[in-house]
Amino acid sequence: METLANLSISWVDPWLMFLTAAGTLAGIYVGAIPGLSVTMATSILISFTFKWPVNDALALIAGVFIGGVYGGSRTAILLNIPGAPSAIATAFDGYPLAKRGEAGEAIGLTTVMSVFGGFIGILALALFAPIISNFAIQFNSRDYLLLGLIGILLVGTLSGESFAKGAFAGAVGVLIGMVGLDPMTAEGRFTYGSITLMGGIPYVAAMIGFFGVAEALVQLRNMDLPAIKQKIDRITPRFSDVRKYFWLAMRASGIGTIIGALPGTGGDIAALLAYDDAKRTTRNPDVPFGEGAKEGLVAPEAANNAAVGGSFIPMLTLGIPGDAVTAVIIGALFIHGLKPGPLLLIETPHLFWFTVGNLALANIFLLIFGLTGIRVFTKIVECPKAVLIPLIIVLSAVGTYAIQNNPSHVYWMLGFGVVGYFLKIYGFQVGPIILGVILGPMMDSNYRRAMIGARGDVSVFLWDFVSHPISLVLSVAFILMLLSQTPLWKPLTGWLRRAEN
Amino acid sequence: MSGTKRQPGEIAFSILLVLFSVTAFWQAFQISGFRGLSEPGVFPMLATAAMLLSSMVVLREAIGKMPSIQSPEITFFKDIASFRLLVMFGLITAYVAAMPLVGFLISSAAFLFASIWFLWRKGPLASALLTAVSLTVVYLIFRILFQVVLPGGTLVKGFV
Repeated sequence: METLANLSISWVDPWLMFLTAAGTLAGIYVGAIPGLSVTMATSILISFTFKWPVNDALALIAGVFIGGVYGGSRTAILLNIPGAPSAIATAFDGYPLAKRGEAGEAIGLTTVMSVFGGFIGILALALFAPIISNFAIQFNSRDYLLLGLIGILLVGTLSGESFAKGAFAGAVGVLIGMVGLDPMTAEGRFTYGSITLMGGIPYVAAMIGFFGVAEALVQLRNMDLPAIKQKIDRITPRFSDVRKYFWLAMRASGIGTIIGALPGTGGDIAALLAYDDAKRTTRNPDVPFGEGAKEGLVAPEAANNAAVGGSFIPMLTLGIPGDAVTAVIIGALFIHGLKPGPLLLIETPHLFWFTVGNLALANIFLLIFGLTGIRVFTKIVECPKAVLIPLIIVLSAVGTYAIQNNPSHVYWMLGFGVVGYFLKIYGFQVGPIILGVILGPMMDSNYRRAMIGARGDVSVFLWDFVSHPISLVLSVAFILMLLSQTPLWKPLTGWLRRAEN
Repeated sequence: MSGTKRQPGEIAFSILLVLFSVTAFWQAFQISGFRGLSEPGVFPMLATAAMLLSSMVVLREAIGKMPSIQSPEITFFKDIASFRLLVMFGLITAYVAAMPLVGFLISSAAFLFASIWFLWRKGPLASALLTAVSLTVVYLIFRILFQVVLPGGTLVKGFV
């Protein structure tokens, strides 16, 4: 069967297997070292791998993704410093466990649970993506517009301290994406007669600037935090533990997959929601939550790895990023001449099945690398920030320059780096910006197509949203999400609860 | 990251964002005005209007926060635009300007050496050693694994 052949491409090709392994291992370290982020690494990697065949590039990037989402848990457990946002919830119970001398067991358990969650996510990807893809062909311009709006809204609401800040970031991203020639009329937008601007703002330079340079600059403030040394002897998860938390892990993986599949939300939110769910549904934990409950480790770690498979679903079937990393990966697919969307599964099914098989392989490597090499790990993670920060800058600069040898790209990168620094300091998230850059042009053309389809009549345009079933569902979801951010929400839900009674 | 206390410079920054949004909205309006609903300027106007609204809310939120105790001007330059940051920014700008002229190897070596020495404070020898080691690793990985042609310079045709 062709599907089987495509699934096993990276399993039988030694070079691809090596790339997947290397990516996963690198990802674990990137995720573990606070100051390095998976989005930073993937942004820089897509520029370096742009000359590679697409399979090789994807194998490396998928490995980094899977490794990185897990890697943050290591330092979360050992140092109470989540290496990645997806590990914030892991620190709640992981660090108390480490303080009681059970760090090794904690790491072993998180590794196994992450791999478990990862497989659930990949299974969901393999089963549901083809179904969703067939279904998505019926999606209209309106539906894509709504999906894009929901995506930006979700990212703005669920991550970060203030909805207004998230909305602003998303809108700025949309603005950045609008610069250049309008694809429908070839009119220049925000181009001011400059040929450079007509080509649009360089996307990779913006990404590396916001995720790489800005983060490095922010880390300058955290440089003086002292490194705490930890001792771990062995990493052995007890089989009784694994069996005991099996159903909890299943639940958490389910939550993770769904959250990952929602456009705009990824492993970090999945982990927090799963932790919350575990806290509410575990009747009598051996240890209370927040003091070293193993359930508090199992749930977020299973969820954040399941979210990886989940976030690939909308990316490959609809061309809509499931989270910030998949937004970056979409950029990679574009660079390699592919078009993520419902037609991807029809025109290039081998790519889809290759990705599924590759993610599964990366998951296996996660199990291997997660349970070994702990001594090397502690050495490398203690690398001083004073050395790390300049290295990030060098990698960012070369990554930006190497694509088109255009010095102006590096200036864009620097500019975005400085802007991103101030945005981060003042509490804005940069994830929504990148989502806005990708979703903006998509939403613009879909909006105009929908409006043209309604012959410019606003009443017809709006009526179309409620008269078609898919559009109706999405519109209601969008309005509910929007309302939940306004002061109207609490009185509304209070009224509903009273009406029920 | 700013939490419930107002950071130094937060109000000024929020005002800047509002001003930027106003300018952006005006520029978006210039694209196609109110000519029609499916014109290229509509979505930019929507986006910049969203920017304007949200930045005004952000400004209001910032004004409502409790200020941090110390005098804002001093803390801004001590904390946010610290000396360390300004020096690094200067170094990065010099690095970025120099790369097209002298090529990747020379500019990166100079930058790494200067910034590691400045940040790590362990003396020029340690810095030089680390620069040499990391640059070699980076070069090997890029040249051999990624096959990226590391840019040479216009003034110095490097051996990259």
